[in-house]
Amino acid sequence: MKRVFALLAIGALAPMIQGAAGTFVPLRYCPDLGLLLVVGLGLCWRSTTGGVVLSAALGFIADLLSGSLLGQHTLLRIFAFGAARACSQQLNLRGVIPRAIFVVVLTVVTALGTGALTAFFDAGPGVDGEMLRELIPHALINGAFAPLGVWLIERISNWLNEIEGGHQLLPLQPRNRLT
Amino acid sequence: MAEFRNRTSVTAIVVGLVAFAVVAMVVDRRSAFGGPEHELSGWTGAVLDIAAPVQKMIALPFDLTQDAWRHYASLLAASDTNVALRARLVALAEENLQLREALIASGRLARIAEIRADFEVPMLPSELVGVDPSPWFRSVLIDRGRDHGVHSGMPVISEHGLVGLVTATSARAGKAMLVLDRQSAVDGIIQRSRLRGIVRGRGTSEMDFEFVVRGSDVRIGDVVISSGLGGVYPKGIRIAEVVSVSDPGSALMQTAKLVPAVDFGRLEQVFVMLRRGPTMELLYAGEQEGALGAAALEGSGP
Repeated sequence: MKRVFALLAIGALAPMIQGAAGTFVPLRYCPDLGLLLVVGLGLCWRSTTGGVVLSAALGFIADLLSGSLLGQHTLLRIFAFGAARACSQQLNLRGVIPRAIFVVVLTVVTALGTGALTAFFDAGPGVDGEMLRELIPHALINGAFAPLGVWLIERISNWLNEIEGGHQLLPLQPRNRLT
Repeated sequence: MAEFRNRTSVTAIVVGLVAFAVVAMVVDRRSAFGGPEHELSGWTGAVLDIAAPVQKMIALPFDLTQDAWRHYASLLAASDTNVALRARLVALAEENLQLREALIASGRLARIAEIRADFEVPMLPSELVGVDPSPWFRSVLIDRGRDHGVHSGMPVISEHGLVGLVTATSARAGKAMLVLDRQSAVDGIIQRSRLRGIVRGRGTSEMDFEFVVRGSDVRIGDVVISSGLGGVYPKGIRIAEVVSVSDPGSALMQTAKLVPAVDFGRLEQVFVMLRRGPTMELLYAGEQEGALGAAALEGSGP
């Protein structure tokens, strides 16, 4: 339980750090720490139920700090966790490059999801050229930071697990290796 | 059997959370067209309250470095600027005096009092402590909230022009949507030609001036100010400057590209206008304060 609260605290801090960093660096050049955390959870967290709830909670915190519709990040973080969990069971996402590519694709998909949800709820234009122009550098930055981010989440998760007296977590084994 | 039960419970939780997110979005969107204010309380408000000082702390070393450099750089030009500003002050004071005389001479003292009432809105200085964590939205976190009299729907400005609108508040922090946000639309007029249009955010550092009839008198360098007609922002606040005018082709309307008057990249301090526009008052009419404001508005007449 301590592990969940500790990760929740780290997750809550992520959008705050990002928000503070955004005052100095354009956000498209900042890695999406919340998304990387959720991907890390999807790849290394044992309990699917716990992971989904944690991802949703992190998404809701991001919603509170963001100008998005309340629930938008929640939904997309659940999706991101599900995608990471499902892909980790089907593909080999242990290497640096597969993880980076996966996060680039996931960033693009979640951004398109954001645009689609915004348009669906008539809260602004959907996906347009401006968004796509911003999306490319943002996705690449996320991809570049993905291996480090996921590795950190794995380390933190293992460390917290050891503190709680549990066993060290093992990475999930892919069922069928396609890559 | 245990695995089936586990899978069922996971599915139920996922469905429940997705349903929660969708309901939250629907409620959030509906509240934009009336209903309760986005006043975050309990643990949701606590997140915003905690975020403001935390973000301030994180940004502190960067702020200090930036401030030191800016002070040094501004010191170098301070003397020249001082002389220029003094000259401008004298010129403006003279101009002000002449305008007052002209107004008094034309017997419009009552109008002067009215104008003063319109513009003397109490302002609350506030510090910008963080920006939106998502690159797809343009909002900022300010360090003033309900305890300081800040409520949803209040306009936010800076000394350079219009910044945005407060969209949610907690006890000690507030969230404001910038005019750059893709959800933002402000009724504006071109100061020179009095041409009306909608200033729409694009999510980037530029904005669009839409619904301008083709062939209208829009020129590069024109200043766009708020028209006050949307009932959200007061009239006369500088919003942006025209940087290009599109070729409408065969279309009926043309669009102009604008650069905001406020440099959002360097924005540190803002002022919250502690009085909502009439539309916002009606939107939040459920509150006593809102109801009083709407009644006063009705009483004041056109």
